[in-house]
Amino acid sequence: MANFRRLPTRWALAGIEWRNLWLVSVMVVAWIAVVPQSLTGGSPGAPPGGQPAAGRSGAVRGRVDIGQLARVVERRPGISDLGARRARDEPDRARSVVYLETAPRAAFDLVEPGRASMDQRNETFLPHVLAVTAGTVVDFPNSDRFYHNVFSLSKAARFDLGRYATGKSKSVRFDQPGIVRVFCEIHSHMNAFVLVFAHPFFSITDGEGRYRINNVPAGNYNVIAWNEGMAADPKPVTIAAGAVAELDLAVR
Amino acid sequence: MPSRGTILPMKPACAACLFVLCAGASLNAQIPPAEPIVLAGGRLTVGGNVSATFGPEDPGFFNYTDYEDSVLRMLRLDLNASFRANDHLSLLGELRSQNVRAPQAYALYLRVRPWTTRRFDIQVGRIPPTFGSFARRSYEADNPLIGYPLGYQYLTSLRADAVPSSADELVNMRGRGWLAAYSVGNPVPDAGVPLATAFRWDTGVQAHLENEVVDLTASITTGTLSNPRLTDDNSGRQVTGRVALRPVAGLIVGASAAHGPFVSTDAVLDAVGSEGDDSFAQTAWGGDIEYSRGYYLLRVESIYSQWRMPLLEERLHSLATLVEGRYKIFPGFYVAARLDHLDFSEVASSSGPVEWEAPVTRFEVGGGYSVQRNLLLKLTTQFDRRDGGRTRHARMLAGQVVYWF
Repeated sequence: MANFRRLPTRWALAGIEWRNLWLVSVMVVAWIAVVPQSLTGGSPGAPPGGQPAAGRSGAVRGRVDIGQLARVVERRPGISDLGARRARDEPDRARSVVYLETAPRAAFDLVEPGRASMDQRNETFLPHVLAVTAGTVVDFPNSDRFYHNVFSLSKAARFDLGRYATGKSKSVRFDQPGIVRVFCEIHSHMNAFVLVFAHPFFSITDGEGRYRINNVPAGNYNVIAWNEGMAADPKPVTIAAGAVAELDLAVR
Repeated sequence: MPSRGTILPMKPACAACLFVLCAGASLNAQIPPAEPIVLAGGRLTVGGNVSATFGPEDPGFFNYTDYEDSVLRMLRLDLNASFRANDHLSLLGELRSQNVRAPQAYALYLRVRPWTTRRFDIQVGRIPPTFGSFARRSYEADNPLIGYPLGYQYLTSLRADAVPSSADELVNMRGRGWLAAYSVGNPVPDAGVPLATAFRWDTGVQAHLENEVVDLTASITTGTLSNPRLTDDNSGRQVTGRVALRPVAGLIVGASAAHGPFVSTDAVLDAVGSEGDDSFAQTAWGGDIEYSRGYYLLRVESIYSQWRMPLLEERLHSLATLVEGRYKIFPGFYVAARLDHLDFSEVASSSGPVEWEAPVTRFEVGGGYSVQRNLLLKLTTQFDRRDGGRTRHARMLAGQVVYWF
């Protein structure tokens, strides 16, 4: 807010109706804040909702039905290309991320950030979806014979790793929870997601849509499934100590 | 010069509606709008570019692409599509509208890949330029600045359909390429031609072979680098070749050559009384280097062109050279600069030897900011100097908004 307080003086000197400018700025900022979340299905790992911590833990497992696979991002029509482009791999869009909407307060003290990797191979990010805890360092090795340039303009992480060749790798530390859309500047169809959580209670489904979140303190929670920018409505679950709760989810 | 390119006229409103529908389809499907639209079970892919450029008047016509349009004051709308019939056959095309005029088919060609396992393609129709490197990346999102390189945009006083009767008449047109008139051939004043235009594509056949290190391209087309054509005006064919090497990641070294009859049959008839041969031709050589690493990108490109014109004893030579660099300061924001020079050979006029066209130097510097991945804002300032013509200096600040999907 300090910046906003300084603005009127400057703009008044320039003879501009700063009151209107301020209103427009607020609208623009509000729009920017709202629209990306509506597109990506909200921010994972929201702040704790005061769920009671428990001394003993259980688990939740189930299956995510995504109905219809999200469409592959196609290359833009290469009108100015002198020939057809090389074949590329298709990203695995069947994997979903399942996570607790809120988590016990104590869980946030237990998070130990680690290291993860998202490869660039045959013009595809592998894996296509990565779920990590805040503070995790993600490596982006280039396994192709040509340049890639990983970048993101997401609110949760804005970075640009520049161009680097095969065998090289660069890293990003994801400190802020949220959904980070990752792209390659050179190959516009290359895209991936990094979901950054403030707690460790999340899981990525296997090839058949199965998931399991372990070591969840006993209590009542809301569980969300997310796939390719779309999130299912939160579904309640009760996790008892030493038990495994069953919960199936559907995204589309 | 809309008539040179129009093969599929469409009302501007129709094109605008088509564009809005495509963009709307993307939003309704909740696909992030940076992505192209896919239809017909994945066979049809549609993309688009919109750019609006705001700049001051250009009294020296330094940035004009024909008599009407300046690169610095242009609303451009592109809709491109690729239809893949099968693994061997695709149809690609692009409709382009400038300043809300009727769209033209900027590109429309068939791509044939005879062997799916080999990276060899044949393209037939209105095809991408074989020569040089810039003309294939002239989309605003690929151009780090707003202005175009002089060799690909600046209008010399030379025309294909009208020729000067003497060196003096040619020299009188120095610095007036935006509207040149000569006594032989077409008497109607019209814009001259650049060395290798980036604003129209030629019509013909192109073959392309590549592997990880080498790109080889050859084409036979109706027009020339300066004057690409849909329909032939001199019964001649231009032959163009290009070799590009990628010895290491990030480095591209290219060499190009082109030769083809330039002057129209009507102009030759007016000038020499017979159709003559194909010797009134344009011959061009080009070299280009691109190197990128980390956050910077550097390009150097040079085009040498010569024309043999009827009624002029000396061949007309021209050399365009540019150096361009881009550096990313932080995510989404870059700065860029380009130094560009266009030089011309001398001809013997009655007042002594003088360059047949006024040399031009341009320096452009600016930057770009990506509001989102497919929404780019650019701001540049351009300094032009010309050793001839009524307006010899210009300094212009321009802004551009580019959106693509």
